[in-house]
Amino acid sequence: MNATSRRRALVVLVVAAFAIAPLVGSRFTVTLLNDVGIAALVALGLVLLTGVGGATSFGQAAFVGIAAYATAWLTTVHGASPWLGLVFALVITGICALVIGAVTLRLGGHYLPLSTIAGGISIAIVFGNLESLGRHSGIAGIPAIRIGPWSLIDPRAAYVLIWILVGASLLFARNVLDSRPGRAMRGLRGGATLLASVGADAVRVRLSLFVVAALLAAIAGWLYAHKNRFVSPSPFDVRASIEYLLMAVVGGLGQLAGAVVGAAVVLLLKNALQDVLPLLSSGAAQIEAVVFAALFIALLHFARAGLSGWAVRWWRRRWPPASAVDTAALAGAEPLPRRTPPARGTRILEVDGATKRFGGLVAVDRVGFVVDAGEIVGLIGPNGAGKSTMFNLLTCTLPMTAGRVRFLGRDVTGRAQKEVARMGLARTFQHVKLRPQMSLLDNVALGAYARTGAGVLRAGFRLDRGDELRVRAEAWRQLERIGLVQRAHEPAGSLPLGTQRVLEIARALAADPVLLVLDEPAAGLRRREKDALAALLKRLRDDGVTILIVEHDMDFVMRLVDRIVVMNFGQKLAEGAPAQVRADPLVQDAYLGVAA
Amino acid sequence: MTWDIAAILATDGLANGAVYLLAGLGLVLVFSVTRVVFVPFGDVAAFAALSLAAFEAGRTPPTIGLVATLAALAAATEVASLARRGETKRIARAVLLWGVLPLVPCALAWLAARPGVPAPLHVASAVLLVVPIAPLVARVVFQPISDASVLVLLIVALALHFLLSGLGLLFFGPEGSRTQPLAGGTLALGGGVTVSGQVVLMVLAALVLSALFFLFFERTVAGKALRATAVNRVGARLVGIRPARTALLAYGAASLLAGLIGVLIAPVTTMYYDSGFIIGLKAFVAAIVGGLTSYPGTAIGALAVGLVESFASFWSGAMKDAIVFSLLIPVLLLRSFALPHGDEAEEEIDT
Amino acid sequence: MKLTRRAALVAAAASLALPAAAVAADLKVGVNVALSGPNSSLGIPYSKGMQAALAYKGEIAGRKIQLILLDDASDPAAAARNARKLVDEDKVDVLMGSSGVPSSVAIAQVAKETKTPMIGLSPIAIDGADNNWVVTVAQPTQLMVDAVVDRMKANGVKTVAYIGFSDSWGDLVYDALMKAAPSRGIKVVSNERYARSDQSVTGQVLKIVALHPDAVMTGGSGTPGALPFLALAERGFKGGVYGQHGLINPDFIRVAGASGQGALMPTGPVIVAEQLPDNYPTKKIALDFRREFQKVNGAPTTDAFSAYSFDAWMVFADAAERALKKGAEPGTPAFRQALRDAIMSTKEVVGTHGVYNFKDGNIYGVDQRARVIVKLDNGAWKLAQ
Repeated sequence: MNATSRRRALVVLVVAAFAIAPLVGSRFTVTLLNDVGIAALVALGLVLLTGVGGATSFGQAAFVGIAAYATAWLTTVHGASPWLGLVFALVITGICALVIGAVTLRLGGHYLPLSTIAGGISIAIVFGNLESLGRHSGIAGIPAIRIGPWSLIDPRAAYVLIWILVGASLLFARNVLDSRPGRAMRGLRGGATLLASVGADAVRVRLSLFVVAALLAAIAGWLYAHKNRFVSPSPFDVRASIEYLLMAVVGGLGQLAGAVVGAAVVLLLKNALQDVLPLLSSGAAQIEAVVFAALFIALLHFARAGLSGWAVRWWRRRWPPASAVDTAALAGAEPLPRRTPPARGTRILEVDGATKRFGGLVAVDRVGFVVDAGEIVGLIGPNGAGKSTMFNLLTCTLPMTAGRVRFLGRDVTGRAQKEVARMGLARTFQHVKLRPQMSLLDNVALGAYARTGAGVLRAGFRLDRGDELRVRAEAWRQLERIGLVQRAHEPAGSLPLGTQRVLEIARALAADPVLLVLDEPAAGLRRREKDALAALLKRLRDDGVTILIVEHDMDFVMRLVDRIVVMNFGQKLAEGAPAQVRADPLVQDAYLGVAA
Repeated sequence: MTWDIAAILATDGLANGAVYLLAGLGLVLVFSVTRVVFVPFGDVAAFAALSLAAFEAGRTPPTIGLVATLAALAAATEVASLARRGETKRIARAVLLWGVLPLVPCALAWLAARPGVPAPLHVASAVLLVVPIAPLVARVVFQPISDASVLVLLIVALALHFLLSGLGLLFFGPEGSRTQPLAGGTLALGGGVTVSGQVVLMVLAALVLSALFFLFFERTVAGKALRATAVNRVGARLVGIRPARTALLAYGAASLLAGLIGVLIAPVTTMYYDSGFIIGLKAFVAAIVGGLTSYPGTAIGALAVGLVESFASFWSGAMKDAIVFSLLIPVLLLRSFALPHGDEAEEEIDT
Repeated sequence: MKLTRRAALVAAAASLALPAAAVAADLKVGVNVALSGPNSSLGIPYSKGMQAALAYKGEIAGRKIQLILLDDASDPAAAARNARKLVDEDKVDVLMGSSGVPSSVAIAQVAKETKTPMIGLSPIAIDGADNNWVVTVAQPTQLMVDAVVDRMKANGVKTVAYIGFSDSWGDLVYDALMKAAPSRGIKVVSNERYARSDQSVTGQVLKIVALHPDAVMTGGSGTPGALPFLALAERGFKGGVYGQHGLINPDFIRVAGASGQGALMPTGPVIVAEQLPDNYPTKKIALDFRREFQKVNGAPTTDAFSAYSFDAWMVFADAAERALKKGAEPGTPAFRQALRDAIMSTKEVVGTHGVYNFKDGNIYGVDQRARVIVKLDNGAWKLAQ
């Protein structure tokens, strides 16, 4: 049995178990499983937002509350159908998420969790003080969901709806993660600069993730309101949010299934403790919280990546995944549209009087040079010369204090990095920014972000398969180009540093760039790897890619480039062919300290 | 709003701010050294307050049992890890340090529960009794996972808070208590405004403790070792500082702060088994305003939270917390823009 | 031949055994209160009262009564889940609880859907016409607040300020005050709120004092209810401070200390049972309850909440006896229906808080006999009729 069919068998088993449960279990067991399903939806949102996107949110219960109150108000005060309530709840929650996210997601680090706590507390207080929402006593008598003539009051009927929604959400989430927006979301943990370098806006990607998580919570809220037929402010406060986060962590933030596992573990454990503890002690109720917390802590000691993370590790140890590759499909895919490469000799990049001041320190002082199509230009200089700063200036990662940069004839001074990236400037990083848990193929495919346009909705409903195939074929081709195609499905973190640098180049190439800018690509490479890299770069130049290399390994650069620009103390020292620059006494003085 | 109302609200806000300041210092201290957001800080303070109330009611505080149990657990954990490493010679010393030493404040507290003991001794016992709690809990719960991600450590800290407050409910019941004021009398500030001696004591304590904190970090070797570990854990190890030991010191200092806070606010506030959470949360807000690294920033944040809370409660009692926390967001935005944090990559999820 | 005879013997034995098994069926009472979380200060006394009631009356017409007690941790969703568990898994005959209005409403919803009678222990914000499976032994808040407002009028109060919890209890008391005050010529001048977990109400109290009201009405319960008393005393407020039956709690007395001296509030008569005149209808059973509570819990009862549990038990016992006479078997839907009908026709059942008469359409069943005014005097409640 190979890996795919084994996985498929597991999925079938799990689905069958869920299908049989309502027929076999008692009414109360089904009620409990319904609660698990609703909580799993919220936890799934957290797995996406916190697990994938790295944004810890203590406000998910507030979104559940907003949706629950929205549908409660619409169906009781205005007598609308619960299905209309669902639409209303989704719209209201989505708008709130957009507004809250737009304001708070710019905050990084610890500020984001705190602002979600702030939001969570405030929203619960607002619920409790609005007359129209029943203040603290809440809204009762909410109608049950009806499908045609059937009412979903019976827990077994509600079970079907709830778990179909859970299954659909899991599929949607998996589809999104497995596509263009998903790659960008998985790239969030690599930092905003990484995403900008492939033409994505980290803030917008995070916001879309935030809204998706909020909408999942909204579905949960709608189900909650119509299942309990009663809402009050207390189940939507910060403590409930903490409990959802607990579920997601215990289930495992690294897997989508962790949401279901976590919700099940927490709720079933609480129920079991409720049954078992009274047999052991008379003060059972107060002990329950203590025992639960102690078990929880023990579990996190034992399985830090959550239960599903532990299960996946065990599964992979027992049955190591084989890399099955469907080359036939990839070969048949239509290639992505390519930019027309500019004619040899066209001016691609023009830097004019670039200056960068950090307070009193002038890191780059009126430096100017050009890069023409079809050549390899090297930017060298001793340590502290300002090369990296210059690099960041011309890629628009840092704003210039003075001077101009023209790319492909257009003035890009002051533009954002992602705009320049979309115009055709691809870069690599001095400290490799790969996603270690994504496969080589996915990492390279991230580079092609700007070349297709599928959004979250199209991706979720699997309407982007055509584009996806083309992007993967492109990534495949780039991997072939750099000679790594046989390891396409391995995680990028398993590569040695030198190979990782080469992989970054492949990612940059996947963007179909006009200009490829490399930041110290030879650093940390061994002799043989450097030779291979030089050969690769020459091949690329012959293929029509213009390259600008920032390096400080003289040997490597001299044998490779067509022209060199030398910097020292922030100023341009010399420019010209390698031999000419080597013989320049100023350059020798800068590097060796003495005129040779 | 007249001037004397404003003055009363301001002094109330300052008094609360003093408490948040001390709690914030403790939180920042522990976080900077261990990367743990020590949520149970407030619970330790509540234990100190409720133990003092138990003394005053003539009962033996159940906290003694808690500390003794924790000491046994910590000693067992330490012995197990030493045995696993094969360092059996250090077991005896470990048992002494982890198992016996924490029992000293327990014995003291047990003696203090006898009738006829003077009030200052009650206060001192209550504070000393809770000092071992954080280091012991850290040894058992946090040290084995000290290299986990910040999020996992935060979740464990939250679970620990639920555990401790659950124990608090078990030990002390659901109703609250107040204790006798530590300082009597009132102080006239002129203009007809008076403040109680207790409030003066709280503000003074905050000032004195902050000054001591500052001196400790600047002038003593142990303080510098703490700062070094906070700045760069690996670097500190390279110069011979043991992170586990500095972590213990940080937790112990945090416990001491929590104990002092507990006995300081117990006379002016009704303390419940779950009062710790909201105090910890507001102190966390203050600490965040200081970026979880800067002590002066924490002080400013604490004062701001105390004052805003006080004036917001005048404006609308029911929405007070919503106002305090909502005002936080523009502050955070300002802070986030004023000091642009570097584009740090986030930690990976543990697998 | 042999087989058939053996089969016939087995069948005969079985048919004899079955009714025997049915006759031994116990009555089951499912109780759900908050034993942890913010409402535990009511929930824990409720549960202690239940234990005392079980000891006082542990069987009816030869059937034992089984008590199943669950904790909802002050969470309405957990309350609903527990109620369903009690009905589906434990097959209880009656539901009782909870210790907060939202949780009680949640259980009431389940009671209606599963057709299980419910006896509440606190006021519940539902309409008796909507849900005829629920009654409660608590006094309607309006009944209690009316008595307070009457006392205010007698004391010459013209303006009253309100400070209460920012939760459903605070809402209930405020609404009742707003209904009662105008007809007595009293104006309500403010509506201040504070959260249970707040450490200070200085701001709210400053606002109240600035308005110079004749009196202040408080809407809290348990020890957090003492906060306005302390703050008003600190500000030197000279007017009367009134409370309501949620404050009848020894810890309130302890925390309020001197600031509670002279506070007036309504309560069920059980609190001052010894001070009642001998012909007061609830005096005897209230004293019986106190004795039983002391025996079971090892300490005297000093709050009103545990007495509600006892009364709920008494109502249940009376109704169950009548339902059993009709021939229904406990644990069956038929019995639950019969029990509901019996509860809804309760006549003059004497409890510790009052005398109960229930009928369809109204969840409350008490009258004037269920309230007295008491005054806090030197740490003890004194009857102040």
